[in-house]
Formats: sequence, structure tokens, C-alpha cells
Amino acid sequence: MTSADLAPRLAAYAARRMPAARGVEVRDLSRISGGASRQTFRFRLTWTEDGVPRERRMILRRDPPASLIDTERRVEFEAYRAFFGSKVPVPEMIWLEEGTEALDLPFSVAAEITGFEAAPALLWTEPYLAAHETLARNKWTILGEIARADPFALGLDRVMPPPEPEGCWVRELDMWEAVLDADEAEPLPITRAAIRWLRTNPPPPAQKIGVVHGDFRTGNFLYDRQGHIHGVLDWEMAHLGDPLEDLGWSLNPVWNFKRDLGGGLVPDGVAIAYWEAASGLRADPDAVHWWTLFNCVKGQAIWISSARAWIDGGNREPIMVLPAWGLQNPQDRAILKVMGHL
Amino acid sequence: MKPDIPAVLAELAGLVARNAAPDIDPAERAGALSLSAALLGMAAEAWDGAAQRLVEENRALRALLVDAGDRAGPIAGLAGAEDDDLSISALSAANARLRAGLIALQAAVEAEDSPEARALESRIWEELRLSTERRHMSSALA
Repeated sequence: MTSADLAPRLAAYAARRMPAARGVEVRDLSRISGGASRQTFRFRLTWTEDGVPRERRMILRRDPPASLIDTERRVEFEAYRAFFGSKVPVPEMIWLEEGTEALDLPFSVAAEITGFEAAPALLWTEPYLAAHETLARNKWTILGEIARADPFALGLDRVMPPPEPEGCWVRELDMWEAVLDADEAEPLPITRAAIRWLRTNPPPPAQKIGVVHGDFRTGNFLYDRQGHIHGVLDWEMAHLGDPLEDLGWSLNPVWNFKRDLGGGLVPDGVAIAYWEAASGLRADPDAVHWWTLFNCVKGQAIWISSARAWIDGGNREPIMVLPAWGLQNPQDRAILKVMGHL
Repeated sequence: MKPDIPAVLAELAGLVARNAAPDIDPAERAGALSLSAALLGMAAEAWDGAAQRLVEENRALRALLVDAGDRAGPIAGLAGAEDDDLSISALSAANARLRAGLIALQAAVEAEDSPEARALESRIWEELRLSTERRHMSSALA
């Protein structure tokens, strides 16, 4: 379906959801590049209500036929909704459509947060270089706020099954190893060695069951030139589990962007200190090491599954090849680094 | 590299042709072509050294299996093969068999408590480190 085909169908859907609106139109619908797990579009919704012309900028996220990350869109939607208006900045969720009648595939619509950047590449240029310390403090403070949140008070346990504190690690490792088993197109000796080590040296039980964003890294939030963060995005892998899991993903060396700094911004120890201060939790070094290595395995599973989706023909978009070609070997080297073999 | 380079290049050829049509949304065209350019750059970088990398690695893995002696067990037979067919697909298939054998060998060595096993384990890790250097691309994302 092209953008030209999509716009009138989206407008018709919006009109059904807004009974008081008249003359609902979708304008300037255009696809945003990237977005390997959802097809993402920005658009302006215009309508008249009580005789007054209105307009709102919105984001449409539509499931592709086969995505890099197979996830439940309701889980993602509810995660955004749970944190809206909190210290964790997220866009406002507007509609969730799980049926396929309106746009052939399920989708969600959110308010667009405008005027900020998301691309990591900009961070290594002026004037953003000068804001790294501030950005890092905000980044890991927000991640600490996610860890501090009570998922049961937020009602997230209704859509995200809570594991037992001692079972967090094995549930996640089992899940991602199964993805590797199903999707690998060639043997992965480094990743398999990491999995054996992880199973032989399990981490301590989680200090609490918290919300795990699942993909909190440089590149998945909107930032400004002063290092302030205005929106945390890409909650499609959100789940309940050990909050240290998110810290480990943020410290996965592939997110260093070829700089020897956590997230490409500050030394790992500085990032961990910001997280501890905000979360009220302790980042036991051995446990952080375990979760960082686990997240290297998880990353590899994601890159491998994107290759599988392309090979099997479910999704032939070039974005599916990019992580498979561009991140698989760096992820192996990240494993070697974390395990002390580099 | 998976997906295989020839298959990706064929897909990109179709993508570029489709984006030559005048009625494509400029933002969609820009996204498709910039990603295609990144992949073409990676394919170009991998092309020249692909056969050399695979031949070199297959030799190194066979030498490891020879040195593993009895520890190689049922995979010892892989050590005696040679790369007669130098097509990338044949070399890659042999490489996959050898790396699968390496996984089994490394798991077996980890379970053994002896100085010889630790020495072989160190050699395996060194080979794994070298394998990532052979696969290094300056155009990689991280």
C-alpha cells in the first residue's frame, strides 16, 4: 500500500474514532526511514470541530508483514500509556487498532513530538558533542526512573506476565536462545560459547520486578542540543523483569558507536552511578556483567532474526539486511570484549 | 555474510529500478536509496577478500581439529577435507560445517578438567578472536 492509498483509509478510520469531527483529512503522510520493527509514518490530521478548524501532528506505526522484532503491539501501547505524564518522557498514545480491516495490518497512532533529534550520528558532531555529559546524566536517570516504577501500580502486569525474581534471567535467556535456534543461518560459535557461560554462571535474583524497556539505548530517544531528552521511543520489547536487564542493554558495546564509552557518551561506571542514584537499586558488578553479556546474546538474536525474515521472504526491505551485515560481527566482538577474550 | 551477497544485490537492483519511477514519495525514495547505498558499500568491501577469508579460516579450523586429536571425536573427519571448490557458496558451506564442529569441540573442552584442555580452549578463543578480525568491515555499524 502506497502513502497515497494509505492516507484516505487512515482519514476514514480517524473520522470513525472522532464522531464530533467533520472533514477529517490526513495530510503530508510520509514514511520515516528506519523503523525495522514497525512501518512508521508522520502526518498532519486536520478536521473541524464545533466550527473550529483543528490540526494535530501524529505518528502512525503499522506492523510490517514480518518484522525484526515480533512483539505484541498492545504491550507496547500500554507501556507508552503507563509512563505518559511521568518523569519518563513519552509521546501520548491516541489509538490502538489490533484489527486488520482499517489498514490491512494492525497499527497504533501517537502524537508526534516535534523539533528534536533521534539519530545517533548527530551526537558525534558539534554542537551536540558539548552536551554529552548532560545527555548521559539524563539518559541513565530516565532509565533509573523506569527501573524505580512499580509495574503493578501502573497496571502493566495485566499485559506483561511478571516472572519470579529468581526466574527473570532464565526466562529471557531461554526466549532469545530459542530465537537463535530457530533463525540462525550459519553456526555462531562465539554466541553459543556466551550462552554456555551464562547458564553456568547465573546472576543473583532480581532486587525487584520492574518494567524493562527492552531497547533503551542511544538512538531510541529524542534529544536536543542541550542534552535534554524529550521522548523515549521503541517500547516494542517492553516486559517485566530484572531492571538490571535494561542497564545491561544500554551498556552492550555495540551501542558505543565505535567510541569506547557507554552509549558512546560516558564511561560505563559514570552511567551506572546515574542509574543507581535514580533507581534506588544497586548495580552489583557481577550481575551487571551477566546482564551485559546476556544483552550481547539478545542483540545477536535480533540481528540474526532480521536476516531470517529477509531470507524467508517475509520482509525484503533493505533495513532487514543492515543489522545482519552491519552488526553481527561487531556483536561477536562485543561478546569477546565482555568475556575478556578480546 | 547472511543473507548472501548475490541475493541481496539482486533485490537491491529491483528496489533501485522501482525507485526510478517518478511517482515515488521523495521521503520513501530517500530512505530506500540511502539504505541501499549503505548495503552496496558493505558488499563492495566484503567482495574482494571473501574467498581469501574463507580459505584462511577453513585451514585454521582444520588445523585446530587435527591438534585436538581424540577430543575432536566424531568431527575429526572434517580435519582431512580440502577446499577444492573455491566458489564462495562452497567455501561458506565448508566453513559452516567446521564452525559447527568447533562449537561441539569447545563445549567438550570446557567440560574437561586438565591443563591440555585449558590450552586447547585458549587456542579456540584465539581462533574465534581472529575470526572477528577476518570479518571486520570499516563500514560496519559498530
